[in-house]
Amino acid sequence: MSHQPVAVVGIGQTHHKKSRADVSIAGLVREAALRALEDANMDWSDIDAVVLGKAPDLFEGVMKPEMYLADALGAVNKPMFRVHTAGSVGGSTGIVGSHLVSSGRHKRVLSIAFEKQSEGNAQFALGGGKGASIGAGGAFAPFIRAYIRRSGAPEDIGWQVAVKDRLNGAKNPYAHLKLADITIEKVKESPMMWDPLHFLESCPSSDGACAVVFTDEQGGKAASKPPAWVLATAMKSEPSTFAGRDPVSPAAAHACSDEIYRAIGVTNPREQIDCAELYVPFSWYEPMWLEAHDIAAPGDGWRMTAEGATALDGSFPVNMSGGVLSSNPIGASGLLRFAEAALQVRGMAGEHQVGGAKLALAQAYGANAQFYAMWAVGSSLDPLG
Amino acid sequence: MPDVVRESVFNLQFPFTRSLGSTLSTFFSALAQGQLIGVRTGGRVIAPPLEYDPDTAADAGTDYVKVGPKGTVSSWTWVPEPTHLHTVKHPFAFAFITLDGADTPMIHVVDAGSESAMAAGMRVEAKFKPTEECAGRIDDIIAFVPAADPSPSDGAGEPYAAPAENAITMLDSFCDLTYVDNTSASTLLWMESLLKGQIIGQVCPMCNRTYVGPRNMCCVDAIPLDESTLVTVPDRGVVTNFTIITPVQYPGQTETEPFVRVSILLEGTDAVMAQQSVLEIPASEVRVGMHVEAVWAPESERDVSDIGNRGWGSGGECIRGWRPTGQPDEPAENFVERMM
Repeated sequence: MSHQPVAVVGIGQTHHKKSRADVSIAGLVREAALRALEDANMDWSDIDAVVLGKAPDLFEGVMKPEMYLADALGAVNKPMFRVHTAGSVGGSTGIVGSHLVSSGRHKRVLSIAFEKQSEGNAQFALGGGKGASIGAGGAFAPFIRAYIRRSGAPEDIGWQVAVKDRLNGAKNPYAHLKLADITIEKVKESPMMWDPLHFLESCPSSDGACAVVFTDEQGGKAASKPPAWVLATAMKSEPSTFAGRDPVSPAAAHACSDEIYRAIGVTNPREQIDCAELYVPFSWYEPMWLEAHDIAAPGDGWRMTAEGATALDGSFPVNMSGGVLSSNPIGASGLLRFAEAALQVRGMAGEHQVGGAKLALAQAYGANAQFYAMWAVGSSLDPLG
Repeated sequence: MPDVVRESVFNLQFPFTRSLGSTLSTFFSALAQGQLIGVRTGGRVIAPPLEYDPDTAADAGTDYVKVGPKGTVSSWTWVPEPTHLHTVKHPFAFAFITLDGADTPMIHVVDAGSESAMAAGMRVEAKFKPTEECAGRIDDIIAFVPAADPSPSDGAGEPYAAPAENAITMLDSFCDLTYVDNTSASTLLWMESLLKGQIIGQVCPMCNRTYVGPRNMCCVDAIPLDESTLVTVPDRGVVTNFTIITPVQYPGQTETEPFVRVSILLEGTDAVMAQQSVLEIPASEVRVGMHVEAVWAPESERDVSDIGNRGWGSGGECIRGWRPTGQPDEPAENFVERMM
């Protein structure tokens, strides 16, 4: 397959909040898109195709919002795509946008993802519109309990992740939660939501959007600001339920990162990759993904958290932006991870910048921990060279 | 397999809310006062106003103008049988109406009495609800009706001075969706077995896995499974995972207190029954590895109406829940790959 280099030259996001009652859905997505276009020094007319992603339409009760948003996003007379892969959709939306450029079909593509959770109710939507919804926390709590049992991790690991990500979020001007005074004690004392997950170990419900502008090698080299180069992309899926599935360390999660590492020649991810944005909507998913993506050895992910390796000033920073635990406009949450990785290698992450980041990883997962999207971005086309 | 088609009817209701943003807040706030407006952008007046120029996506600005209340029908479609969701209960038309002072049409109801009264080019005027009933919704206009006087609207095209703050910034959007699912052959078999107090599954001849809740396929080998693979399985098994939910309140929520849901691996099977209730013990005593047995509803109270095609393993109103048998627990680590 011919593959042309792809550059991220524009990134924009909204200020994420519990309710962005000041804007319509169109206003929300345009806010992110306009910031991305400004960052790319482009106008709507420069864009050749638009890719829109969001989680299930039942979240806002707006069916097929890509139809309603086509003209708001400048897609008139241009191709427009809708992507949906549950919680991983933001990542998939970025990947689809990058492929439209890498395939040579389009020169400049806008990927945008959003959720306006305040218009509906996530528990209602995830419960299929019925009572007694177990929600995402209820679905993932058993996997987390099994991880704790399997790894022998001490109970405070989840609390540590919750504090670390919120302290990072406090440095991110766009984050929904800015909990600069959070402590282990506060997390531990917060209400139990989905045993063993406390309230402060869980993601918020947010309104927000994220947009990314992609262009080709020529466009990337000509960009006025440093580009991030998309070095590899991967998406993997597995069934939600089948006899023999390991939901704690899913085969599709391993396969997704394997493909990324092979594509860019990474043999020791912990040493060779500078930082990662992993989809951690519930605290314990940090050590779980470190293991499922072979950054830590099986059973050792929690040790990286305990040793401070995943802190902003650690040897392998994770969720520098504050992560899903600080902002969760569900459909956009994956693209926010992908965008933060790109900001890091562009050197544009502000107070949550990892010094000298050259190679960054981003991941999103969705549904019953069954859809995975991942990319690696670099400050150059050969950051390991 | 039986070829009977059973229809399951489901209803979905939710009170969604919309935040309108500045432009639509201005429109709906004016509408609540009986004033229709548009926005002048790109050399034309778009009514109702948009936040952006639909051709270029450029910001449409705030150069608001008064439009209507009369307009001209450019196209229409007749609705002979309104549903309970339509605001007009007798036959009517949905029409594109270009309001006086506007260059683009809006869609609304035209109540002209009969289809033969409808025509492109007809002059219509907005018939508003009484002011005290107007809420800043598009149905503040009951309908457009044939204009008594076809002459141009007074004041159309004049500038509209928007107030500094809009009275209307949110919109209630109540969803009421009824949908019909044709029950699949395998779901029908599942329903019939539950009504008889039996649990059935299918054995894949290739991998020998037993699925609980027939699904007419093996999702590992991706082969179809037919009636010859059906088996009756025990209504006893082991809890392979559990979750304790602190219920978040939302419209339609049925729970107020923390509740537990478990996955159960029945004896001799390979696929769990998920999201089951546990009876007779508190949530805090539920354990992975615990032996349980089904508590069946009396035959006369069994009901399968809430079981859909994707609810493999749902016991409907036939299985009340599961109670501990008191046997010693199995080791929890045996069930990591049988959680889901």
